[in-house]
Amino acid sequence: MDYLHYTRTKHYIKMKANLLLTICLMLLATISKAQEVAYQEYNLDNGLHVILHQDNAAPVVTTSVMYHVGAKDENENKTGFAHFFEHLLFEGTANIERGEWFKIVSSNGGQNNANTTQDRTYYYEVFTSNNLELGLWLESERLMHPVINQIGVDTQKEVVQEERRMRYDNSPYGRWQEQMGINLYKKHPYRWQTIGSLEHLASASLEDFKNFNKTYYVPNNAVLVVAGDIDIATTKKMINDYFGPIPRGEKIQRKTITEDPIAQTIKASYKDPNIQIPAIFAGYRTPKNTDREAYVLDMISTYLSSGKSSKLYKKLVDEEKKAVQVFAFNISQEDYGSYVIGALPLGENSLQDLLNEIDEEIVKLQTDLISEKDYQKIQNKFENQFVNSNSSIAGIANSLARYYLLYDNTDLINSEIEIYRSVTREEIKNVANKYLNPNQRVELQYLPGESTGK
Amino acid sequence: MKKHIALSLTILFFGLSLHAQIDRSHAPKPGPAPEINLKDPQRFEMKNGLKVMVVEDHKLPKVSVQLLIDNPPILEGQKAGVSSLTASLLGKGSTSISMDDFNEEVDYLGASINFGSQSAFANSLSKYFPRIFELMADAALNPNFTQVEFDKEKAKLLTNLKSQEKDVSAISNRVQSSLAYGKDHPYGEFVTEQSVINVTLEDVKQFYTDYFVPANAYLVIIGDVNFKDTKELVETHFTPWTKAVPPSFQFSRPSNALYTQINFVDVPNAVQSEVAVENLVNLKMADDDYLSALMANRILGGGAQGRLFQNLREDKAYTYGAYSGMGNDKYAPASFSASASVRNAVTDSTIVEILGEIDKIIKEPVSEEELKNAKATYIGNFVLALERPETMARYAINMETENLPKDFYKTYLERINAITIEDVQRAAEKYFTVANARVVVTGKGSDVLENLENITFNDKPLQVKYFDKFANPVAKPNYETALPEGVNVNTVLNKYIETIGGKEKLESVASLAMMAEGEMQGMKLNLELKKTSKDQFMQDIKVMGNSMTKQVLNGNQGYIIMQGQRKEMSDEEIKKVKDESMLFPELRYLDSDVSLESIEDIDGKKAYKIKVSEEKYMFYEVETGLLAQVVTSTEMGGQTMTSTISYSDYQEISGIQFPFTISQTMGPQKLDFAVKEMKVNKGISDTDFE
Repeated sequence: MDYLHYTRTKHYIKMKANLLLTICLMLLATISKAQEVAYQEYNLDNGLHVILHQDNAAPVVTTSVMYHVGAKDENENKTGFAHFFEHLLFEGTANIERGEWFKIVSSNGGQNNANTTQDRTYYYEVFTSNNLELGLWLESERLMHPVINQIGVDTQKEVVQEERRMRYDNSPYGRWQEQMGINLYKKHPYRWQTIGSLEHLASASLEDFKNFNKTYYVPNNAVLVVAGDIDIATTKKMINDYFGPIPRGEKIQRKTITEDPIAQTIKASYKDPNIQIPAIFAGYRTPKNTDREAYVLDMISTYLSSGKSSKLYKKLVDEEKKAVQVFAFNISQEDYGSYVIGALPLGENSLQDLLNEIDEEIVKLQTDLISEKDYQKIQNKFENQFVNSNSSIAGIANSLARYYLLYDNTDLINSEIEIYRSVTREEIKNVANKYLNPNQRVELQYLPGESTGK
Repeated sequence: MKKHIALSLTILFFGLSLHAQIDRSHAPKPGPAPEINLKDPQRFEMKNGLKVMVVEDHKLPKVSVQLLIDNPPILEGQKAGVSSLTASLLGKGSTSISMDDFNEEVDYLGASINFGSQSAFANSLSKYFPRIFELMADAALNPNFTQVEFDKEKAKLLTNLKSQEKDVSAISNRVQSSLAYGKDHPYGEFVTEQSVINVTLEDVKQFYTDYFVPANAYLVIIGDVNFKDTKELVETHFTPWTKAVPPSFQFSRPSNALYTQINFVDVPNAVQSEVAVENLVNLKMADDDYLSALMANRILGGGAQGRLFQNLREDKAYTYGAYSGMGNDKYAPASFSASASVRNAVTDSTIVEILGEIDKIIKEPVSEEELKNAKATYIGNFVLALERPETMARYAINMETENLPKDFYKTYLERINAITIEDVQRAAEKYFTVANARVVVTGKGSDVLENLENITFNDKPLQVKYFDKFANPVAKPNYETALPEGVNVNTVLNKYIETIGGKEKLESVASLAMMAEGEMQGMKLNLELKKTSKDQFMQDIKVMGNSMTKQVLNGNQGYIIMQGQRKEMSDEEIKKVKDESMLFPELRYLDSDVSLESIEDIDGKKAYKIKVSEEKYMFYEVETGLLAQVVTSTEMGGQTMTSTISYSDYQEISGIQFPFTISQTMGPQKLDFAVKEMKVNKGISDTDFE
């Protein structure tokens, strides 16, 4: 969920056959890091964690803050708060009047945005390096004394409703993730989406929002990253000046919610009025992001569906011509992950048929070791991703914040590739046997037709 | 004032104790502007016309390469889709390497190679670059077009087209460009099912031969390479590319609408309306007022601080975002459009607000602050873009293809800074219009049309014209579903009862037995259904002779057998099956609490919709009076499943009309049953319900 969403479609672009591309690009994003990224990290007295990365190649600086609060921290009767907050915290601060935030950024030639996931909320600005202080001021203002008032709440409530309509209700295949979440999780907050319930938001009071801010938007629940064309000593001093005076908040109590294992196939279906071609999704609940097995599943996902020579693409799309598209996502999250394989049938092929074909490949993975050559191919793909993931300063800043906050290991920016390198073919087989069985999954039939259910 | 003092004191306090004193009450001033460095790529031209640019960047061990053919726009006409199919068929190996081997090797090296109809793109680690480059060149110059792959890609394209049929934003985009340019213009035409069917493999080959030629081609290599080796590599692999020029054509010149009007497209599934106000602009990058036009657009709707966003989102909260965009094009008029996706109820207000903002920026000078901010954004973006080595290459290509002066980018910042308020207004007057704009609205007509027809702008009503999803003019949609005078739930039910045999006849029936045959995924199904007037019901579905599910009800007891497992029915299930077991439920519906809802279209025929319960609706054809459809929804594991049963092919048995074709649709499953036997008052004994 971004604060802003830019999609200007050029009118003269002809209709392109890019079905579901959005879905494919959306996830599976974060793998691993390139050449040694040098950084230093420390804590301020108020608990704010700071990470600095210096790279003077271009006159660009990113200032960003990641807060350890996402949809999973929400009360089940007040869903959508974390994402709503992301909107609210652009409404102004004690020193920034309502409506001025974007003017300040753009009048200084900068770019900014924010986004929320199940686990965290992220805000960032990119400026030319002579505006480093401005970026620090903006983020410290947001943390120190945001203005949370009725007019901001009322406006953003409606904006978020339109965001939901655009992304979910008016968008083809817009609700598969939501439907998968509902079925994959019974107790854990991962069962709802970051956009949350419009009813919950509508009934939330100003006091509710103020309490949420007081609990989660505190320096001891955040990491500040400054990356790019900076001088370390000057930057440290500025950070101390702007963030130092912000008082520490109370320690956050987090609940551990454990799901019962899925022992029997959960069959679900959903009708989407915006589509004509049905889709089948098979979703498995997988271990948390720091677990070695989550990395193994990343490799399995690549093996099965990344690239034209991947097993599922080659078989279903190229050879048997049963599917228009096959895709898989390994969604890594703090408490649980999910691994979802999906396909869209070509012509008259049935969803069950596609599922059978997918299962056949999984069974092979569970029975035999993958070939040495396929193993090397996966490694090459991860190396390529590792190199590419450090192409921009803004990307490095995001990775540093994420590895610190969600993996508790900033050094993964340089060392995560080693984890993939150390995974063996035997482990791939074992993990496939442990997690990818039909009785452990949700089978979601995503169908054309009048919308069913909420 | 008071607040201000309190704040300063707080800061002072902290300043003394821990932190340096800073003034947080104002945004810090920027330091001195950083120096920027515009490097030119290294370049050379080949004898066949291919222009090559190399940007060395050794920060990461990777290389990307882009081949771009800057041909004039192409009208595909009756074969729209040929370019898309050409793109799909390129990169499937070459005449000397099979598709499987090609894909396998590219994937194995962790790289990627993609093709457009007149472009190619690859990226890889620098250590594998020479091989990836060779593979890309081979696939580009010696494509492997086969009938098998062609048929497959065609089927995929058709499926993809189908998948977009109900996509509100895809429909909106298609109609916008088609109405702006006309369907006989390359920018206005679009791909349809028929046009894809028209394309043959020969057409693809011809398209490739005509347009995949080096006359207007640029090859850009960026990354961890050195110029000398790269030049050799390019010469080795691109020398065989035969020199040729693409055919060129003239097109009709599109023009703006004669007067500002609303063009409405009805999409019943829309929960938001796509509103776009568009007009054509004759704007090229090389034009003197190009940058002024960018400023005007920026201030109007170029981002979150644009007037459109501030008005429609921040002030009115109609939308998640409202923006405007303006293209530039050296071959044909480009388009300007201001748009937003808004909730249905505010569709009309949105149109008025967008037109109002366009009118205002044409008539009134923008403020100094707005211009200053717009300039700052462009300057900032220009500098920030320098982080990416691709930027240098893009600038170099623009200089060539857009015919720009040599110092276009060197003086870019200077020229931005020199733009005045008057320049912006002149550009707004020239490029925006409220007199000849087209307001394309794509949305749910039954919700929004009424208000749309009453819009006035600058005291003049806006005419509404109607179009279908493919930009064809159509009549105004009719949502009248008013029930005719004198029709009520009893007249509908009575007509049905009369039509199938009459009340007396139906009341004389004590039992019914039906045998039917169906097919599902190649398997033969047999359905046996028996019911009596004494709350007895039996339904058995057999697959290839084996019972798959069986339901039996006898008075107040019942059970279900599913794949061999027997389960007693719950009270609720018993109640439901009892309802099903009624021989002619319409007899009981008379004078009950069922209600007549509306007239709806069922498979092209008008039908009365009767609500039996929240979960069950029945449809009776207006013309014949016969039952056409029953729609029921059931809750299953938290999901609501809708089942539709359609009845047709009525035939008379023992003086009563029964449907002989019954099809059930549930999710993706469609089950067609043909009734083989229908028995009235015979063929049933009490043992059937044990």
